[in-house]
Amino acid sequence: MLRVRNLHCGYGSLRVIRGVSFHVAPGETVALVGANGSGKTTTLNAVAGLLAPWEGEIRIAGRDTTRQPAWKNVFNSAVLVPEGRQIFGDMTVSENLEIGGFRNPGRDVVIEDVYERFPRLRERSHQLAGTLSGGEQQMLAIGRALVAKPKLLLLDEPSMGLAPLLVRRVFKAIEELKQDGVTVFLVEQNAVAALEIADRGYVLETGEIVVEGEASDLLHNPEVKRAYLGKGYKEVWE
Amino acid sequence: MKIFDPRHETLGPEELEQLQLERLQALISRLRRNVPRYRKSLGSVRVPTPADLSNVPPTSPEDLGAAFPYGMFALPLREVMRLYSTIGPGGMQLVVGHTRNDLAHWGRLAARQLVAAGGTEHDVIQIGFGGGASGQALGFMLGAEQIEASVIPQDAYRPEYQLAMMQSYRASILITTPTQAQELAAILDRRGIDPQSLQLRSVLLTRPVPDTVREELKTGLFSQVHCSFGVGEVLDPGLCVECEEGRFHVNEDEFVVEIVNGELLVTTLLREAMPLLRYRTRIQCDMERVRCPCGRTGAVLRPLGRLDGRLRVNEMPLYRNQIEALLAQTRAKGHPFLLDISEREVRISIMVTAELFPDTVRMMQGLKTEIESAFLEQLGVRAAVEYLGPRDYEQREKNDQSKAFPGGW
Repeated sequence: MLRVRNLHCGYGSLRVIRGVSFHVAPGETVALVGANGSGKTTTLNAVAGLLAPWEGEIRIAGRDTTRQPAWKNVFNSAVLVPEGRQIFGDMTVSENLEIGGFRNPGRDVVIEDVYERFPRLRERSHQLAGTLSGGEQQMLAIGRALVAKPKLLLLDEPSMGLAPLLVRRVFKAIEELKQDGVTVFLVEQNAVAALEIADRGYVLETGEIVVEGEASDLLHNPEVKRAYLGKGYKEVWE
Repeated sequence: MKIFDPRHETLGPEELEQLQLERLQALISRLRRNVPRYRKSLGSVRVPTPADLSNVPPTSPEDLGAAFPYGMFALPLREVMRLYSTIGPGGMQLVVGHTRNDLAHWGRLAARQLVAAGGTEHDVIQIGFGGGASGQALGFMLGAEQIEASVIPQDAYRPEYQLAMMQSYRASILITTPTQAQELAAILDRRGIDPQSLQLRSVLLTRPVPDTVREELKTGLFSQVHCSFGVGEVLDPGLCVECEEGRFHVNEDEFVVEIVNGELLVTTLLREAMPLLRYRTRIQCDMERVRCPCGRTGAVLRPLGRLDGRLRVNEMPLYRNQIEALLAQTRAKGHPFLLDISEREVRISIMVTAELFPDTVRMMQGLKTEIESAFLEQLGVRAAVEYLGPRDYEQREKNDQSKAFPGGW
């Protein structure tokens, strides 16, 4: 569904991502985890088309989308749920959902699905989105992306700024997406929460992937701890 | 026959290439960060495709020897849960470390071999090893746990006892060394026991054997015979899976194999504690890609022999220089000797000359005992010493030149 090879990109003269390769098979939930500043969001922005790669190749659903602008990606059915939700605060919940489906003629049916999935949104459908709680806003952001009927859902830090209980609820919602066959690529700082719902994971450290593996293996991987604690091993017998 | 992990054992070429690329790049950045020796040898080399691996300098057993014991570890010891000794060229001691994940992967890889040999959760698996294969025994044990079979682990090897266990517990799969399997078949034959009276379905041997031995064991034990092929410093068992067609399919989701000038080079893709990059195994191999009826897509290896003169005596790896060094420690030092190395023992013929042995028969007997016990204690191998007069010695020397030594894995 998504295949990235040897991706290099950055900002100005600063190379942030240095030769990253990964893939997401159809129906899989894959997590890209790493500490602050490791390059997770940069990688995701390059995949979504918000940032032009310097080198490398990105293929979504078999099509080369390497230098394609973000709006075209929506037509390839890859939809990004951006970091910090970025919902339209002074529009109602239902208007937000309709915008998500602007190019989906069958959006009403899908919006109904979204309401089924997140009943809280139906209750608040006429409320301004900006007045929702953090967790509800995240549900709305995911719901808005789902209205576009994505084959590949790109999630950027869905747990950011949420209380632990809400994090659990949001991740439960993502897990349910997997059961419905949606392919999810999840970028997340909260590695444990992400790896608990993912099939596989990649650990990013200063712009390079240092570990790839089954999510259950990664939870026990010393490198995961290291990437998070940012602690180098100086001596093997330390 | 069933496949334990169809997703990984039957990967298509495109999927496999992507997987190997991702894992190689992660491996290289991990090694560059964590292992000073690799940081130095890797420099700024990049691997944009798996084929570019050939630009990476290989790692030799001597490199491992120079870094012994922990210099090649990519993680601190507190993350390492198991340490195994293994023998490298010239008999040098090497070590392999495993983390919790390494052991879990080892179990899954060994399980692939067990399932290919017909193992299921209904089987009683008897692991009967002695000598130099104890590390392998643990790999099979982890594998058997994965498939949830019942395991009879054994330590010291006693064929009679092993047979009694097989009869009482009705073991359906026996994992053992070829030598011991042959011994077992010989006992059955000697005692007139019908091999069909055992419940054996499958015998899994710890190393590849010639077809003649395989056939002989098939009839001798009335069972299917499978072989395992691994490399001690890399993973044994677990590098390959022998399918029902008798082909050794490499587990390419976890290992990249290359053949360079006939030598097998292995890169471990997922190893955490002690990853190896293009490790020169000193094993001569052929490799081919075939469409195999078993469904597995891994490249097929055909092991041909050792490139470092490793011998095998009673399943123990042994090098000629080890024997020479041991003899040099005894009173036989400096005396001409001939070696006749068979699969079971080392025969040492020492030349008797007037100035070297002016002593009594008792002294010669003493030296014989000294050498034989030193072999058993230090190398774990049986030796037999005989004394030859100069004329007999020369005669023997002439005959020996045409003799080949048994090779080992």
